[in-house]
Amino acid sequence: MDKKYILVKDTRRAGSNQTEHFAGLLAAKIQASPAAEAVQVVRAADIGFYDQGLVLKFLPGGPVYLNVSEADLDRVVRETVVGGRVLEDLAAAGTARQLRVVLRNCGVINPENLEEYIRRDGYRALSRALFEYTPDKVIEEFKKSGLRGRGGAGYPTWLKWHLTRSVPGAEKYVICNADEGDPGAYMDRSILEGDPHSVLEGMIIAGYAIGANHGYFYIRAEYPLAIERIGKAIEQARERGLLGTGILGSDFNFEVDIRLGAGAFVCGEETALIASIEGKRGTPRPRPPYPSVSGLWGKPTSINNVETFANVPVVMTRGGDWFAGIGTEKSKGTKVFAVTGKVKNSGLVEVPMGVTLRQIVFDIGGGVRSGKKIKAVQTGGPSGGVIPEDRLDTPVDYENLQKLGSIMGSGGMIVMDEDDCMVDIAKFYLGFCVEESCGKCAPCRIGTYQLLKILERISEGEGRSEDLDRLRLIAQAMQKASLCGLGQTASNPVLSTLNYFETEYREHIQAKRCRSFKCRDLLTYSIIQSKCKRCRQCFLNCPVQAISGDREVGFYIQLDKCIKCGKCFEVCKFNAIARE
Amino acid sequence: MKKWSKSDLDKIRASREPDRDWIKVGMSTCGIAAGAEAVFEYLRDEVARRGLPIEVKKCGCLGMCYAEPLVEVRAAGLPQVIYGQVNRELARLIVENHLVEKKLVSDHIYSFNREE
Amino acid sequence: MKEGNDYHQELSGLLAKWKDKPGNLIMILHEIQNHYGFVPRQLSLQLSALLDVPLARIYEVLTFYNYFKLEAPGKHKISVCMGTACYLNGAPEILRELKSILGVEEGHTTKNGLFQLEVVRCLGCCGLAPVIMIDGKVYDKVKKNDIIDIISKFTRSKEPE
Repeated sequence: MDKKYILVKDTRRAGSNQTEHFAGLLAAKIQASPAAEAVQVVRAADIGFYDQGLVLKFLPGGPVYLNVSEADLDRVVRETVVGGRVLEDLAAAGTARQLRVVLRNCGVINPENLEEYIRRDGYRALSRALFEYTPDKVIEEFKKSGLRGRGGAGYPTWLKWHLTRSVPGAEKYVICNADEGDPGAYMDRSILEGDPHSVLEGMIIAGYAIGANHGYFYIRAEYPLAIERIGKAIEQARERGLLGTGILGSDFNFEVDIRLGAGAFVCGEETALIASIEGKRGTPRPRPPYPSVSGLWGKPTSINNVETFANVPVVMTRGGDWFAGIGTEKSKGTKVFAVTGKVKNSGLVEVPMGVTLRQIVFDIGGGVRSGKKIKAVQTGGPSGGVIPEDRLDTPVDYENLQKLGSIMGSGGMIVMDEDDCMVDIAKFYLGFCVEESCGKCAPCRIGTYQLLKILERISEGEGRSEDLDRLRLIAQAMQKASLCGLGQTASNPVLSTLNYFETEYREHIQAKRCRSFKCRDLLTYSIIQSKCKRCRQCFLNCPVQAISGDREVGFYIQLDKCIKCGKCFEVCKFNAIARE
Repeated sequence: MKKWSKSDLDKIRASREPDRDWIKVGMSTCGIAAGAEAVFEYLRDEVARRGLPIEVKKCGCLGMCYAEPLVEVRAAGLPQVIYGQVNRELARLIVENHLVEKKLVSDHIYSFNREE
Repeated sequence: MKEGNDYHQELSGLLAKWKDKPGNLIMILHEIQNHYGFVPRQLSLQLSALLDVPLARIYEVLTFYNYFKLEAPGKHKISVCMGTACYLNGAPEILRELKSILGVEEGHTTKNGLFQLEVVRCLGCCGLAPVIMIDGKVYDKVKKNDIIDIISKFTRSKEPE
C-alpha cells in the first residue's frame, strides 16, 4: 500500500491556532491504529480553505474535510485512514475554486524552454489554425467562444479581428498591449514572465486571422524580466520557424518586434499607444477612424491585451464551444485578478467569470489580513470604482461591475478595510490621474485637477457644504466631454466613493472627522492622564517638542505646536495617547 | 538551426518527458524580490553535492505572491507539494527530509484549492 | 564632463540597431538612458542632427514620458513604489521617512550625489507590499524602522553584496 499523507490546519480566524494540538492528537490516534506505518500527519502553513474550522486534507487524491471537531477524529481514523471510506458529512463542497486556463503554464513550465511549452500543447493551436482553418474560420471560432478583451472595456475579440480583416489593404498590424499601467495590478507581467510563448502564439494566430504580417509587443520599460523573456521567446520562435517566412511550412509570414513604453498611463488608450510606437508623444486622438481602419502608420491595426492573447491558443485547441461553456451568459471564460491590499493571501487568482467578489476575497484570498471588517473592494484601478461590502455577493462579469459604477479593468482587485478612508482613496487615484492626464483636452486636464483640489480641501478640514454637488458636476462633465477613456473614467473613483460612502464625505466636511484616522489634518492627539505611566517616550520622540511637562506633573500635548505626525501615538506602549 | 514543420512539433509532443523527479523554484519578479535566487542556487548546489537524482528547475509565477519564494517538489513516492516562504534553512530541510528521508516537512506546505 | 566627440562615438554605437527603423526615437532614447542613466542635453543635440529631427521633437517626447530623466542620476537609485497596494500598506510613511533621513524631496539627488529618491507607480510586487527598490534590488514588506538600516548599508565605505 502506498503511503498516505494528511495535511492538518486549524483555519479558525479567532482564537489561538490549535493546528499543533490537533495534528498531535491525530498522529497519536493513527499511531495506535493498524495504519500506523502507512500515514504521515503534516502541519500545513496554508491549506486552501479559510475560516472552516479544523481542515484535514488527504494526499494524494483527497478527500478534504472541513470543520472537523475533536470528537470526529476517531471516526476519521477508523473510516477514512484505515477503511479508505469518505465521510460525506465532513467532505468539502461548494467553495469557490480557481480554474487555471490563462495561467495554465505559469509556474509549471520553464518559461525559457520552448520544448517544454510545446509538450504542454504549445503551438498546436497555431498548427491547427494554419493548416486546418481559413482566417475567416478562425474568427468564426472566436465568435463562438465569446472571448472579450481582457484589457478593460471587454470588446469582443472576434469583432475587432473581423473589422480589421474587412478593411482592404495588404499591410496590417497586430499589437500586444503589455503596458500594464494600473498601479496595483500585475497579471500581465506574470503571464509574460511565466508563459511568454502562449502570448506570442496568440499573437501569431491573430495575425493570421486578420491578415497581418507584422506584430509589435508594447511593454512597460519597468518590467525588465518580462522584456527579457519575451525577447528570448521571439528569438527561439524565429530560430525554429515559428516566426518568419513560411511558418511551420505553411505560406504564412509573420514577424514580431518589441517596443518599450516609457511610463505613461494614457498609452493604454489605443490611439495613444499607436502614437507611442510611432515614436511620438502618447496623446490620443478622436475616433473614428478606429485603429481597425487607420491604426499604426495609418494601416488597419488590431490591439489586444496580454491576457486576451494568452486565451487565444486555448480557444483554438479546445474549441470555441468549450470556452463558451465557462463563465456567465455575456462574459465567457476566466479572469485573472491581482488581489492585493488588505487581503490575507495577496496574489494572482484565476476564476471563472461569475464567481462572486466575496468568494474571491474570502474563499480564495483568505479574508482580511488584520481580521478587521472589510469596507470595500476596488476594481479597475484609476478608471474603476469601489464596491462596498454589502454588494460583494455580486457575480463578477463586465456588465455587473459596470452597473455597480466600477469596471472590470485589467484585473486589479484591491481589498480595503476599516482603516482605509474613502476620501483618501479617491484622492490617491485622482492624484494619479492628474499626473497621467496627457493634457490634450480640457475636461480631463482641468477636471482632474479641480476634483483633486476639492478632495484635498475636504481631507484638510476645509470642505464646504456645496463641495459634494460640485464634485458630481465636474465628474459628470468629464465623463461626457473628455476625448479618451482616461478622462471619461478618471472620475469613477470619486463618483463611486461618493455614491456608496457619502456619509464619510459628510463627516469630513461637517464634523471635521475622519473615521479611519487617515486624514491627518482632522486628527487631534491628547494624552489620557489616567493611562499615562509618565515614561517620557512621547516627550522624547516628539519631533517638534510639542509635548511639555515632566514626571511630576505629567505630560501634555500643546495643540498649537502639534504637527499631527502620530509619533507619540506610535511609541506609547500603554495606549495612553488618544487620537480623535 | 533547423526550422520545424508541423510534424516536428507532433514528434516533440509525442516524445514524452521521462518521469523524472524535479524541484521548481518560482523565479518571476516577485519571487526574485523575495529571495528565490539564493534558494535556487542553494538547492542546485546541494542536490549536485549529494548526487540526488532530481532536477532543479526555474519556473514562472505560481500566483501566491504572499508566500514567495515558492518551491514545488515532485519526488517519487510522495505527493507533489508546494513549500512557501522558503529560505536557506527551509531549503536544507526540504533536501534532508523531503528528498532524502522521503517525509513531508511540516508547517511550510501551501496547499491550494484549485482545478487545472 | 565628456567632450562632444566622446558622445559622438558612443552614440553611433547605440544608434546602429535603430537608425533605419520607423518610429525609432523612443527606442533610441531608451538606449541612451540605459547607457548613461539619463539623457544628456549634449546628446539630444547630436541626436537631432544625426536623425534630422528638430530638437523640440526630441524634448517633446522626453518630457512627456515619466521614464526619461534629464538630470544625472545619483550613485544609488531608491525607488519607492506608490502603487495602490503599497499605498494602502504604508508606502506614504516609508516615503516620509526616506525624505527625512536623506533630506531630499522625491525626484532629486542628495547633495553628496549618493542617493537619488524616486517615486514609481508600481513595481509589480504587490503581494510583498510595501516595497522599495535600490539599484534594481527589491526590498519587500519594508517597515518604517527598517529604512535606516537599509540605507546605512550603502553609506559605509564598502559596498554591500
